Amino acid sequence: MPEIEGSPGSSMHGVTGRESVMAFSVASPMVHTDRTAKFDLPVDSEHKATVFKLFSFANPHMRTFHLSWISFFTTFISTFAAAPLVPIIRDNLNLTKSDIGNAGVASVSGSIFSRLVMGAVCDLLGPRYGCAFLIMLSAPTVFCMSFVSDASGYIAVRFMIGFSLATFVSCQYWMSTMFNSKIIGLVNGTAAGWGNMGGGATQLLMPVLFEIIKKAGATPFTAWRIAFFIPGWFNVIMGILVLTLGQDLPDGNLSTLQKKGDVAKDKFGKVLWYAVTNYRTWIFVLLYGYSMGVELTIDNVIAEYFYDRFDLKLHLAGIIAACFGMANLLARPFGGFTSDYLAKRFGMRGRLWNLWLLQTAGGLCCLCLGLVNSLPLAITFMMLFSIGAQAACGATFGIIPFISRRSLGIISGMTGAGGNFGSGLTQLIFFANASFSTEKGLTYMGIMIMIVTLPVSFVHFPQWGSMLFPPSQDIVKGSEEHYYVSEWTEEEKQKGMHQASLKFAENSRSERGGKVASAPTPPENTPNRV
Amino acid sequence: MEVPAGFLVVYLLFSCFVASSYGVYFSSLNETLIVTATPTQGQVLKAGEDQISVTWRFNQTYRAGTDSAYKTVKVKLCYAPISQKDRSWRKTVDLLKKDKTCPHKIVARPYTASNNSFTWTIERDIPSGVYFVRAFAFNAQDEQVAYGQTTNAHKSTNLFEIQAITGRHMSLDIASICFSAFSIVALAGFFYMEKRKAKGSQEK
Repeated sequence: MPEIEGSPGSSMHGVTGRESVMAFSVASPMVHTDRTAKFDLPVDSEHKATVFKLFSFANPHMRTFHLSWISFFTTFISTFAAAPLVPIIRDNLNLTKSDIGNAGVASVSGSIFSRLVMGAVCDLLGPRYGCAFLIMLSAPTVFCMSFVSDASGYIAVRFMIGFSLATFVSCQYWMSTMFNSKIIGLVNGTAAGWGNMGGGATQLLMPVLFEIIKKAGATPFTAWRIAFFIPGWFNVIMGILVLTLGQDLPDGNLSTLQKKGDVAKDKFGKVLWYAVTNYRTWIFVLLYGYSMGVELTIDNVIAEYFYDRFDLKLHLAGIIAACFGMANLLARPFGGFTSDYLAKRFGMRGRLWNLWLLQTAGGLCCLCLGLVNSLPLAITFMMLFSIGAQAACGATFGIIPFISRRSLGIISGMTGAGGNFGSGLTQLIFFANASFSTEKGLTYMGIMIMIVTLPVSFVHFPQWGSMLFPPSQDIVKGSEEHYYVSEWTEEEKQKGMHQASLKFAENSRSERGGKVASAPTPPENTPNRV
Repeated sequence: MEVPAGFLVVYLLFSCFVASSYGVYFSSLNETLIVTATPTQGQVLKAGEDQISVTWRFNQTYRAGTDSAYKTVKVKLCYAPISQKDRSWRKTVDLLKKDKTCPHKIVARPYTASNNSFTWTIERDIPSGVYFVRAFAFNAQDEQVAYGQTTNAHKSTNLFEIQAITGRHMSLDIASICFSAFSIVALAGFFYMEKRKAKGSQEK
């Protein structure tokens, strides 16, 4: 290579005036493009795509994107398929309000555990197997709805179906292996957001299926059971597609690469340790419970809320409820986009402020949703709430990839689990109780969201700063390399296990924000300098 | 421009409150109809199979002419308090348009003072619960003007139980098992085949 990257005066950023502003692609002076790799999209040194071409199905990057978000979408459809049909199911099974609330809690609790496990599975076996196993093994649980005859059966089946939400982790993990960190916010936000749309699509799909099956001659108490077969079939079909068309990494499948010696196997205990001892992990676990968590809660309660409070027909309540979840189409990618956009100027600090603002605004709108008595106002606040909460989800996963390189899988899993934990908790506290009404529950939940979002101000990166404090001025401690390589012991560094983290640290220098061009940080860190 | 906008919002919100309190209140109605139904106290009926025969007539002890406004009668199946417990979607509310006590329609007939009866086969979408029968008399503006019911004012006597259908079918159960088995077998098959291929490429 003729010139050393990053040396003073070598940066070409802004010189031609044609550098892209939008985070859809990464211009080559910013990130070293690997021109030796033969892929349909331009890639970086880790063979991750640096461009996000939405309507392409090119193998492996974009194909992975589509397989990933559609499988996640399918699990959302299955998990929340019962919610819009609750007015029928509660009559068939003679459910009380606490039965319905408990079933809602159960539907999101199973995946607390499965998301944690999925993080480890992705780190060790690869996201493709993780995803396929999960959706194909949860298909039988969806078909089980035809056997349910009382409250306990209903709760048990919703619990088992809920395990499949762990595809979230495989989805995000898969995206992180395929796309460069500069665009990861947008990519992760889009994939997860479109997956989350399943929670909205199901509110539309299930009542329609129910009506069609009823028209075909079935009684209501049988028709809803038949309707559940459709999500079950979706699960099976997506599982087969993932197995036949997907691959773990840009260069191939994990087991093939591990056997060839290209990818080093890591120890679970170590990976877990570095995830758990990083305080930032726990703050995001909490926060995600009140962005994603409340989104899941609303997916479970909102159709019934509109049906009962405003006396709407089942399919109309379903349409309104669907709008909440479908806002994910744009809202979550929007959160990832604003995260990437503010990062260009303000770096990681911009990402943190972005998250706080979006999530707090969502909480405020939730509070208002519970207070209003008219249908148009309720729908308005519901939509504003959906945008705030879902964009906050996207913004969260714009930050997660930077917390750790070694333990990305487990941290994604723990955060995802935190989302479900938050959902279970909010449903238990606010919506399973016969002593206060659903509208009061919504108001209290809004207040809790605003309070719980405050800890994001404590997240501090020595190399990039936090919401209220600037980065460390120390040359060593304030470098990305120091932060990411500190997850490896001397022994491991001697084995060269930290090379991927070094590459990542180099690629992550953009999180410093607008002052990158003037910082003369050398890209190569030879081992004896670290 | 600030003041009118704020005032408009407050007015809209207020009008939402006010609009919701128009309508007929149950407590304003008199029980001028005598309604009887065939189920006895505590009897258990099966949805989709058993029948209820309802008869209703005007209570002659009221002044003649009280029923001059009555145009139609709607007979409904109503939840007893025990079936409303912990189920706020079946709540009794005095304002009749918000009341959810009697969601199931049995029959609607033009009003005549006597000789009214109807035999109803319990529909298959009636949930399990404890019930009584109530009839409302409507005027020409379709507002409730009187009622009659088979139970007392506290809704504690003469209640009967209905057992719903399960909605389950043998054919559904079998289909469910078949598709589940397919899913598991297909997954296991793929996994096994891929393991074999990977082993093969490693040995090369």
